[in-house]
Amino acid sequence: MIARRSVWTDKQVVALAKDFVCCADEVWRLQNLGDPDCVYFRQWCDLGGQLNGDGAQTTRQGTYCVSPSGRFLGSCNSRSPEVMAAMLRTALARWKDLDKKSRLLDYDPADRVKDINRAEKHYPADGLVLKVHSRDLNRTGLNPADWRTHALNLDFCWFRKEEMQRLVPRDTFTRDTRWDLPDDLVRRSLRLSVKDNVRGQTPPFSNEQVEKAFIKCKVDKIKKGVVYFDMEGEVKLAAEGRGIEGKIRGKGAWNVATSKFEQFDIVISGTRTGRTQYNAREDDTAAAGIGFVFTMAGDKPIDRIAPAEFGSYGWR
Amino acid sequence: MLRRTAVALGLLLALGAVASGQELTDKNYEEIRRQIMPTAAEEEWRKIEWHPTLWDGVIKAQKDDKPIMFFAMNGHPFGCT
Repeated sequence: MIARRSVWTDKQVVALAKDFVCCADEVWRLQNLGDPDCVYFRQWCDLGGQLNGDGAQTTRQGTYCVSPSGRFLGSCNSRSPEVMAAMLRTALARWKDLDKKSRLLDYDPADRVKDINRAEKHYPADGLVLKVHSRDLNRTGLNPADWRTHALNLDFCWFRKEEMQRLVPRDTFTRDTRWDLPDDLVRRSLRLSVKDNVRGQTPPFSNEQVEKAFIKCKVDKIKKGVVYFDMEGEVKLAAEGRGIEGKIRGKGAWNVATSKFEQFDIVISGTRTGRTQYNAREDDTAAAGIGFVFTMAGDKPIDRIAPAEFGSYGWR
Repeated sequence: MLRRTAVALGLLLALGAVASGQELTDKNYEEIRRQIMPTAAEEEWRKIEWHPTLWDGVIKAQKDDKPIMFFAMNGHPFGCT
C-alpha cells in the first residue's frame, strides 16, 4: 500500500527508526476488544489528539511513539516522510527525558501473551503459507503521478498440514499423473483472496457467489524425489455490483520425502468490474485487467500475518 | 453498411482486449507475474526490523529499554490494508 512505500522507504525515516523498536498491527481489534494489548493501546492512543477526527469509532490508524510503560511520546498520520521524521525526532527527545523507572512496565509483558487471542496464533507452521499480491494489469491513459495507477496490495492464504497434503494425490506419482485440487480448498482460497483489493480493503465473495473455480494439475517431470507439476484453471466470482473473472496458471514442486512443497506459484490474469465501499474505484468501475500472484511466503515474523478473511476459514 | 458494422465491431473487440485482462499463456506467464509482483523499491519497507504485532514490540522494547514506534492501520499494515 501507499503508506508502506511513501514513508517507510525514506532514508531519514529508516535511519531514525533504528532508535526505536518498530512494530505494526491491525487497529480495529485494538480499538474494540478487551485483550491486554487492546487495553494498553487505548490508554495512550488519543493523548496527542485523535488522528482522524472525533468519534469513538473513528479509526485510530496512524503512527504512534510510546514508551513500554505507556508514556505517550508522539503521533501522526501522514504519508510525508518529513512529517514522520519530525515526529520521530520529537518522540526520541521526550524518551530521553524520561528516567528508566517511568519508561518501563512494572511487569513482564511476555507473561500476558497467553491472554491475547489473535488469528496469528493459528499460523500453520507445518502447513502451506502463501502470499497473495494483487495489482491492476498494465493499461494506458492513467496518470503516472497518481498512487492508484501503481497500487499493489498483499494478503495471505493459509493451508493447515492436512489441507496441504490434500493438494497432491496420495498415490505414487508417474509422468502421466493428473489431478484436480480439492474443490473446497480452491473455492475458499479464491473467493477469499481473489477480490479487487488493489487500492484498498474489500469484502470477500461468498460461497454462493462462486460461479466457476477449478485448478487442474499435471506432472511435468519427476527429478530426485521432487514432483514438478503445472496447474491450469479458471475463476469467476460475481456479487451485486462487482465481479472478477480470470484464467489461472501455476507451477508446483512437491518433495515426496519431506511431504512439503518446494514451490507453489499461481498467477491469475483476469478482468474486474464494479466497486465496493472502500476499494477506491469510484471513478474506475468499468471492466479492466487485474492480476494476482500466489507464492510461498518466507518465514520472517512479518510473513506470518493472518489472512484478512481468517474469520471465514472456520479454524476457531 | 456491412463493412462499417464490421469495423465498429473490430474496434469494440480491440477496446475490450485493452480493458480486460491479458490472456495468460506459457509464454507470457513470467511477464504477467513480473507485472504483479512488488518491485525492489516497493519492498524497501521490509528492511526495517519490524515486529508483527504491538505486543511483540512492547516485549522487545521492555527488554531492550527502547521506545516503541507503532504503525497501525485498518487491516494489518503487512497484510491486506
